[in-house]
Amino acid sequence: MIENAYQLIVYVLTLLGVYEWIYGIFQSFGIDYVLQIIIVFVEIVILFAFVLVTVMFLTWMERKVVAMVQSRYGPMVTGPRGLLQPVMDGVKLIGKEDIIPAKADRWIFTLAPFIVFIPALLVFIPLPFGKSLIISDLRVGLLYIIAISAMSPVALLLAGWASNNKYSLMGAMRAVAQDISYTIPLALTAIAVVMFTGSLSTVDIVNAQGGTWFGIIPKWFIFIQPLGFILFLIASIAEMGRIPFDFQESESELVAGFFTEYSGMKFAMFFLAEYAHLFAVSGIIVTLFLGGWEGPALPFIPVQLTSLVIFLIKTYAVIFFAMWLRDTVPRVRIDQLLNLGWKIMVPLAVLNLLLTGFIVVAGVI
Amino acid sequence: MIDFVFLIISAVTIISAIMVVQTKKLVHSAIYLAGTFLGTAGLFILLEAEFVAWIQVLVYVGAVITLILFTIMLTRKGEEE
Repeated sequence: MIENAYQLIVYVLTLLGVYEWIYGIFQSFGIDYVLQIIIVFVEIVILFAFVLVTVMFLTWMERKVVAMVQSRYGPMVTGPRGLLQPVMDGVKLIGKEDIIPAKADRWIFTLAPFIVFIPALLVFIPLPFGKSLIISDLRVGLLYIIAISAMSPVALLLAGWASNNKYSLMGAMRAVAQDISYTIPLALTAIAVVMFTGSLSTVDIVNAQGGTWFGIIPKWFIFIQPLGFILFLIASIAEMGRIPFDFQESESELVAGFFTEYSGMKFAMFFLAEYAHLFAVSGIIVTLFLGGWEGPALPFIPVQLTSLVIFLIKTYAVIFFAMWLRDTVPRVRIDQLLNLGWKIMVPLAVLNLLLTGFIVVAGVI
Repeated sequence: MIDFVFLIISAVTIISAIMVVQTKKLVHSAIYLAGTFLGTAGLFILLEAEFVAWIQVLVYVGAVITLILFTIMLTRKGEEE
């Protein structure tokens, strides 16, 4: 039984008939753990490449969706339908001057973009891309995701503080206030899902959503937890800092928020982290409420492949929703956002938790 | 292998704990403190106590460090001399 990407790589190598040979070489030196490290390293490289390509595609997609809503074409010149535009942007950003303000804290200023990027990448570890396509099925996967997401406000605060600019600092303060107030409904609605599955492992959560009711309605948690789904969606869009809630960088008030002073590759790191986070959060929404990779299996095609395609379709549907929302809804005010978070979302999340508790204890579903 | 990892994580934890009290700037101390907490979480993972490790990250790195940084930033005037 193949459970994660490591075992999948070993299985593929065994099918190709080279695993025994490679393993023999390493064993003859008595360092077979080096082979394990190499395979894990290969996994990391594949994941990193996947995230980079996804981010490039997402920047292109965002422009195209904005253009579609505004009856424009969007990028059209570089490559077919402007597909190579992100590559050009990357080249441009590498060529830019790397400016560090004179009164900035050089050390933290340089470190902050990387601290922002690391949590965005680490969230991908327990994310099930497909059946057995998961880096590591942690026993506490969901807690891990929430804990890693809780690290990102620290990095934003450091970036805002190190720039030594009032707009940066205010942007960072707003980002952290927003992050803290929306993590609570996020965690409370995630707990409601965990009460049904009885497990924090993301794979168990997806498996619990397999099958159908009456042969038509899939057993996704969105149908058991409609209130939870709406709360989780709003809270995660607020946590990502996308447009109805983008106070950390609201350009009409704060120039560009906490990355006002950043340029060149450091600015690109923030951009990379933002879009990697968008994909990761959409993936988590799909895993928790939309059945993850569960879906129809096709004959003759490996289940890993079909489940990956199903997962990507669902995830891109959620991403499209987030982009669509960005183009449709204007920005709310910061006090409205915090009121919504503390006075409406948190009580509703607690109510949802209470109702879920009654349903689970009564054993209706 | 595990011993080697243990040594690295302990060294990182202890060195950053020393640096917390050695650095002049308060914000740098806070970052080193975050390093200490992450190192402690790493030690919990080595003990196969995943739940405790991630609660450690969630509460200490996520909440306590944010609180400390907020406090430092709101009292920043006294530091510039």
